[in-house]
Amino acid sequence: MAKSEIRVGGLGGQGVILLGHIIGKAASIYDSKHATLIQAFGPEARGSACSAQVTVADEAIGYPYVKSPDYLVIMSPDAYTQFAPQLKPTGTLLYENELITIDDRLPAGAKALGIPATRFAEELGRRLVLNIVMVGFFAGVTGLLSKDAMEKAVKGSVPKGTEELNLRAFRKGYEYGVELIGAATVTG
Amino acid sequence: MDESPELVSLRNGTKVTIRPMVAGDGPALLSFFRGLPEEDRQFLRDDVTRPEVVERFVAKLDDDSVIPLVAEHEGRLVGDGTLHRTRHGWAVHVAALRVVVDREFQRSGLGTALAHQLVRRAVGLGLDKLVAEVVDNQIGARRAFEKLGFHQEATLKGHVKDIHGAKHDLVIMANDVSHIWERMEALVADYSPTAGD
Repeated sequence: MAKSEIRVGGLGGQGVILLGHIIGKAASIYDSKHATLIQAFGPEARGSACSAQVTVADEAIGYPYVKSPDYLVIMSPDAYTQFAPQLKPTGTLLYENELITIDDRLPAGAKALGIPATRFAEELGRRLVLNIVMVGFFAGVTGLLSKDAMEKAVKGSVPKGTEELNLRAFRKGYEYGVELIGAATVTG
Repeated sequence: MDESPELVSLRNGTKVTIRPMVAGDGPALLSFFRGLPEEDRQFLRDDVTRPEVVERFVAKLDDDSVIPLVAEHEGRLVGDGTLHRTRHGWAVHVAALRVVVDREFQRSGLGTALAHQLVRRAVGLGLDKLVAEVVDNQIGARRAFEKLGFHQEATLKGHVKDIHGAKHDLVIMANDVSHIWERMEALVADYSPTAGD
């Protein structure tokens, strides 16, 4: 892995920044790589547009801004509309498939993999952990960072007492991602 | 959820293993319940000396509305703790804790240890509120729950009868654990007045 650029997008209150923070933390602290994080917010907090730009690399990163991501992690329709056209044609979109519908904004050639993350989070007991389901999905689909590093980053980033449910959310997303990739490989 | 057994050291130094109940626990569980004095069994909801009742408990292990733990010491069961929740309706955020401990192990901290593990599991399931029912004269049990953050929320007057026919108040103790999730809510709020691009 030379350098991977990731854009995370969603609504305020979905945990967009925490999602980006966990990927960066897993890379830089637990997987001995380099990472940068840029966060952007809408004018109001909850319910407004929110995004994070994460760069992960084997070498030091000179320019932290993500203009054309390799991976796009999207949790709201508005974020999809705004960021889908920026995805590299060889890139991968990871999206909440019960909230977002894919259309021709997605560059030709780009891969799109969906997960019902909100439903999974609700089934686990807390809608709040939607972003952690997405973290697990990202880890399972991309294989960019080790599962161990990602789990440590989740555990070290969430409030005390909530670790168990957050780790279950991570594993739910991870297993779904691994299965999806396996199925995609089998079916060609 | 972490299902691994946990070795607990009680006040007197005795080591007890707390672990999830498994299908093979039926005979040991029946023996544990039958060993309880009648006055302790009086406050249980089922006649746990009947094999079919205990068989029903171990047959429901894949039912996620009940999370049962047992405490084991030198090959025998000495405690039973369960978390009961509903999976539908207006109280899906609430769970009830029930803990029963062998007489020999009462006042040793085992009840508190079982209840502590149940509280941890309840938080791990994303629940908001826990309740426990204690008879007014079960002072030790009330103190144990208070140590875990429970407080007296309601009293049902003359609600239970002991083996001598005397009526007692049933105390409903509650523990609001939602504040743990408030911290998570703040963390995912995605708002920082000083950041932006």
